[in-house]
Amino acid sequence: MIDNGNFVHPALFYRSDQEYLDCLVPFVTDGLAVGEPVAVAVPGPRLDVLREGLGAAAERITLLDMTREGRNPGRIIPRVLRRFADAHRDRHVRIIGEPIWAARSDTEYPACAQHEALINMAFAGRDVTIVCPYDMSTLSAEALDDAVETHPLIWDSERRYDSDRYAPEAVIARYNRPLADTGPDDAVLRVGTPADLPAARRFGSDRARVLGLAEERVADLELIVTELVANSLRHAGGPSRLGVWRENGHLVCEVRDTGELTDPLVGRRPAEPGQTSGYGLLLVNDLADLVRVHTGPGGTTVRVLFTTGD
Amino acid sequence: MRKSGMAEDARGFGRHDHLCWSYTSGEEFTARAREFLVEGLELGQRICFVGAENADPLRGVAAIEAALASGAVQVIPQARAYPNGEVVDPADQVRTYATATQEAIDAGYTGLRVAAEATPLVRTPEQLNAFLRYEHLIDRYMASHPFSAMCGYDSTALDDHAVARLTAAHPTANRPGQFRLHAPADGGCAAELSGELDLYGHDLLAALLECIDPRPTDGELVLHAPELDFIDHRGLMVLAAHAQRHDATLVLRTRWPGAARVVSVLGLPHVRVEAIA
Repeated sequence: MIDNGNFVHPALFYRSDQEYLDCLVPFVTDGLAVGEPVAVAVPGPRLDVLREGLGAAAERITLLDMTREGRNPGRIIPRVLRRFADAHRDRHVRIIGEPIWAARSDTEYPACAQHEALINMAFAGRDVTIVCPYDMSTLSAEALDDAVETHPLIWDSERRYDSDRYAPEAVIARYNRPLADTGPDDAVLRVGTPADLPAARRFGSDRARVLGLAEERVADLELIVTELVANSLRHAGGPSRLGVWRENGHLVCEVRDTGELTDPLVGRRPAEPGQTSGYGLLLVNDLADLVRVHTGPGGTTVRVLFTTGD
Repeated sequence: MRKSGMAEDARGFGRHDHLCWSYTSGEEFTARAREFLVEGLELGQRICFVGAENADPLRGVAAIEAALASGAVQVIPQARAYPNGEVVDPADQVRTYATATQEAIDAGYTGLRVAAEATPLVRTPEQLNAFLRYEHLIDRYMASHPFSAMCGYDSTALDDHAVARLTAAHPTANRPGQFRLHAPADGGCAAELSGELDLYGHDLLAALLECIDPRPTDGELVLHAPELDFIDHRGLMVLAAHAQRHDATLVLRTRWPGAARVVSVLGLPHVRVEAIA
């Protein structure tokens, strides 16, 4: 299947642990046999199944719990996939990445689908295979349909074939959904100049503490508020609106401005020496539990969620 | 313990303190200088008023009248202290005050306290750059010697950018500044950093670092930052770039947990964050 020098990105549709293992154990061991580095980033229970199925081979690969490493889908490309692939640029690299599972919420899912689509752009031309397992027994029809559009190849228990509906740009556009303005009136601060940044941080951290954000995450929130507002000041060239409120067990921190994000991979490229921009959203993606973005000619909304429990 | 932060007046300063006072009228500067110098006398310091033709502006206060009679007051006219248009030689200027401090000690005083009107020395960019380096060097001297100073600047004669840089280079100032970068209270590191650093302060920080040029020791540029409340990734990169110009690693000692997060997430090279209690 591997087309030398080209990125390979199949969706694996599986119905059972057995089908999971039948495909993925050889994927790992074949790679190891030819000296290719292998990483597995799947949800914890899947990790257990695979670890048992792999036996001793599990010792020779990188195993990551995707529910932690990839809790925010925007973090997966830079922190999981590229981190591993970039560490082995001299060889073909094999990765199993399972970013979508049944417990992903409706709020998370659009970011998950966009992430899957963006992998194609992030790895174009790279000597890497990333296989993305989809659990047909628990995932929605929508998620399975979308996978056919976000993956150029489909693997199932019987065959491997080209997707006839591969259209990652369409998925990115489809899930670029407006984020309804759900914050209460007192949750909003207008920010017009860089001199307002300390006040924006104070507004954010004061509200976050009152709304139950754990103290050890307040610095993360201060960084996120600062990066988002500074991005608006720098790129949108106009005032922005910061909102901080609580919704469905999450602390929501949102910045709206009049600019448009035109680079779909912004915030998903790992930091590289000499790079002077793009760090802001990379940091936001790393620190947040979820980042949702809506952008267009009419403006951009970046909504960051922190899990707080109830 | 040296004072740091914002000052409402020129009272309560110790023998090592360094105050920046940006004034809008000569009367304001004189009134603050008088406060500052009178307390120096109470601490047993010789006092020196730089930038006036004579001691007349200070007169009318019993303590100063008595000190004038005893010789505890020196007055140095602007023209003699700093000929107009001069670009200060930072090291030379520090030596001058170190000598004057030693002379005061030798004469039985507990040290020297100066109130100086320094506006004529910072009018041009070239003057300002040299003077900022001097401010930092003299600040280091002050931290470990019984010398305290109040530097007066006429804010109506200087642009906001100059005033912001001068303010940020002092441990105490009468103007709010987003951050301060000054000599460490106890030596052992390159400088002390406090306040908040974000987009608003990046350019000021870069300009200030270029002028005051804190130097590394043994390949590390250590910044002690117990009162740093925020720094973003660009602020860290500006600091690290300065350390790199001297082939050094930046070491930031802070209790704000975000700095370590940024360095770890972005894998910023040549930076180490040390948590302090």
